[in-house]
Amino acid sequence: MAKKKIHIENTVRRLRFNNNEMTQGQLAELVGISRQTVVAIEKYKYTPSLELAFKIALAFNKEIQEVFYIGK
Amino acid sequence: MNIDMNIKIRNTLTEIIAVAIAITWMYSKLNAAANMSIASITQVLVQGIGISILAAIFFAIVIAIVSAIITKSKEKNVIDERDNMIEFYALRLSNVIFGISLLIILALLGWFNLPINFGIIAITLSVFLASICSTFLKIYLYK
Repeated sequence: MAKKKIHIENTVRRLRFNNNEMTQGQLAELVGISRQTVVAIEKYKYTPSLELAFKIALAFNKEIQEVFYIGK
Repeated sequence: MNIDMNIKIRNTLTEIIAVAIAITWMYSKLNAAANMSIASITQVLVQGIGISILAAIFFAIVIAIVSAIITKSKEKNVIDERDNMIEFYALRLSNVIFGISLLIILALLGWFNLPINFGIIAITLSVFLASICSTFLKIYLYK
């Protein structure tokens, strides 16, 4: 397999707004992380661990691939 | 100072302020280091380390109170996996800087036959240098 670096993107920001305009703080509290980490994830500056990615997906009641995907 | 700034950066800034105060204090006390005994130098250095710890705690409390008063909200300082990762990078950088500094100091002491007073002070300052570099790395990563 090629050693190409993959860029993981997400739909967290959109999902937050679709969930009664949930704030970053509310999402952070829901999954047990800091608000700054939510900001970093939304800006694609930080890729969460698999466990955290699952937690975020569960918070929105979605499958993980609906929240995180490989970007271009 | 922007009160709404990232709580992590705010906490990290307090560390830099504390280290700066401790270094300034130690510098003022170690002016005549060449003529001081090892016992008095180590006393100053230990006091300096104590001052940096106390100053870090003091400024963290003061800034948290001022921030809470101005923004009228208290943001929780949750430690999560990203914080642990950043802490790990910072620790690794500080280890590298301290290791390199220690090697350079030992080499200087051996080759240039410098007094042991210089060595003790330089090793303590290299700890502070490593701490400052790691806090700057943390600020960069949190930005």
